[in-house]
Amino acid sequence: MQIYLPIAEMPVNIFLIIGLGAAVGFLSGMFGVGGGFILTPFLMFWGIPPAVAVATQSTQIVASSVSGVLTHWRKGNVDFKMGGVLLGGGLVGSVLGIQLFNALKAAGQADLFISLSYVIFLGSIGGLMFWESLQAVRHGGSSVGSARREPGGHYWVHGWPLKMRFHRSKLYISAIPPALLGVLIGLLAVVMGIGGGFILVPAMIYLLRMPTAIVVGTSLFQIIFVAAFSTLLHAITNQSVDAILAVLLILGGVFGAQFGVRYGERLRSDWLRLCLAALVLMICLRLGVDLVLPPTDPFNLIVEGLE
Amino acid sequence: MRRVLATLAIAAALAAGAARAEDLAAGISRDKIEITSSFTGTDVVVFGAIELESGEALPATEMRDVVVVIRSDKPYLVTVRKKDQVGPIWMNRDQRRFAGVPGYYFLSSTRPLKDIASAEVLEQFEIGLDRIALGPAPGAIGGPREFREAILRTKMTQDLYSQHEGAVSFLSGSLFRTTVALPPNVPAGHLKVLVYAFADGQVTSSSTMTLFIDKTGIERGLSEFAHHWPLFYGLAAVLLSALAGFLASLAFRERH
Repeated sequence: MQIYLPIAEMPVNIFLIIGLGAAVGFLSGMFGVGGGFILTPFLMFWGIPPAVAVATQSTQIVASSVSGVLTHWRKGNVDFKMGGVLLGGGLVGSVLGIQLFNALKAAGQADLFISLSYVIFLGSIGGLMFWESLQAVRHGGSSVGSARREPGGHYWVHGWPLKMRFHRSKLYISAIPPALLGVLIGLLAVVMGIGGGFILVPAMIYLLRMPTAIVVGTSLFQIIFVAAFSTLLHAITNQSVDAILAVLLILGGVFGAQFGVRYGERLRSDWLRLCLAALVLMICLRLGVDLVLPPTDPFNLIVEGLE
Repeated sequence: MRRVLATLAIAAALAAGAARAEDLAAGISRDKIEITSSFTGTDVVVFGAIELESGEALPATEMRDVVVVIRSDKPYLVTVRKKDQVGPIWMNRDQRRFAGVPGYYFLSSTRPLKDIASAEVLEQFEIGLDRIALGPAPGAIGGPREFREAILRTKMTQDLYSQHEGAVSFLSGSLFRTTVALPPNVPAGHLKVLVYAFADGQVTSSSTMTLFIDKTGIERGLSEFAHHWPLFYGLAAVLLSALAGFLASLAFRERH
């Protein structure tokens, strides 16, 4: 069954788009990632103009992260204080990111920079995480948070000033590392057009040593704001948010996210990390191959608008 | 500039052909297409008749070729980038900006274009995919042909450009018709329908019509909302998305 998209100016198959929304929503609820880095390429593959794909997928991320956060919140799995610190850093980061993005665009190399940073970030994070979680799975499923945090244990992040108590995460650490992490995520969110979940989640687990269960909910909380900001920005500057496409994606996404949260809970945390690592590595591989393989058509068209 | 030349050329051709002045009366099965939520493309028939100005039928000895061109009114600015290999990586190297790129171009003719008129004449009227006047954008430099060909190739794979030589058929000596399959992704707006009659490699008569592709109902409302009140549209999109997420989590809590 086909439906016409008024902004993309083309028809799409209703069930295909709902299914895609559901699949991405599932991953989002389970791992705490937004899923934009999967959704955008898929939409473009089906012929949705890139500007519309990028702008519209962010509405789906708002919906599925709200859906996921509320469910995690009821289970006490969201650290709002930590989320707030990350978000504060994120605002600073996005202002820096806009300037970096404009400079890259002027040089005509924004695409290459995005792909390269994806490959580098996804590759290193995915690789480290895969190795660590594989060890954990082998040694009987101890989670990073509980196994390595001995009482009174100190790590490099613990020596910094401006200490804050994060009750939910059971942490008493300096506010500087999470704020810096927020800046980095905000910067990447603008430049790469993503919520940053797949970087934020591992960073919270391994750098801040937050419990895995809390990380997913807190990451989703942060992503809501990043995605909402991105939707608004695209609607104002490009008028490229397609409401019909958004409704279809959301319809699938919100339900997918609910199933994802529930399925994620049943999974042991080391297995959860292993699965996320595998997903991140697969996407890294795909992007890496795209960079190296000769393109089917070396030419690409960017329609800038009416004369 | 080329438009002006084309108009002058028609005038000259008509003046030259004054001895056998003829009329081209053309019509279109629908002059307005409404895009609704179930729009998946549609067929339109362009038809017409060629007769002497006196109203008599053309003498049987007079053969005409007909070319039907449908193109969007407003041209687009397009940037074409070319990837090249740098070390192991393929990256954008060269780019050219083009102006005058139609969003839609359809051509149908009685015979192969090369048998109908000379390249110069076809060029004047922008008849043929490879004769669309794509020029460098203001301030841009021209480049190798491959950039221009990339535009045509991409638009053809998207079904937005097409050329059907031999698809105009004559029902009788003077009545002709052709069917246009408008693709689902045809850009909304005005399309120009141009019909040319050719004899001995020259345009003997022509006709211009307009086909209006318009969004209706909810499609139109959303599209106008998005373009006229972008801030509110964006806010509405965010709020509705958040509301949808909220409702979904409520629905699931009750069941749990």
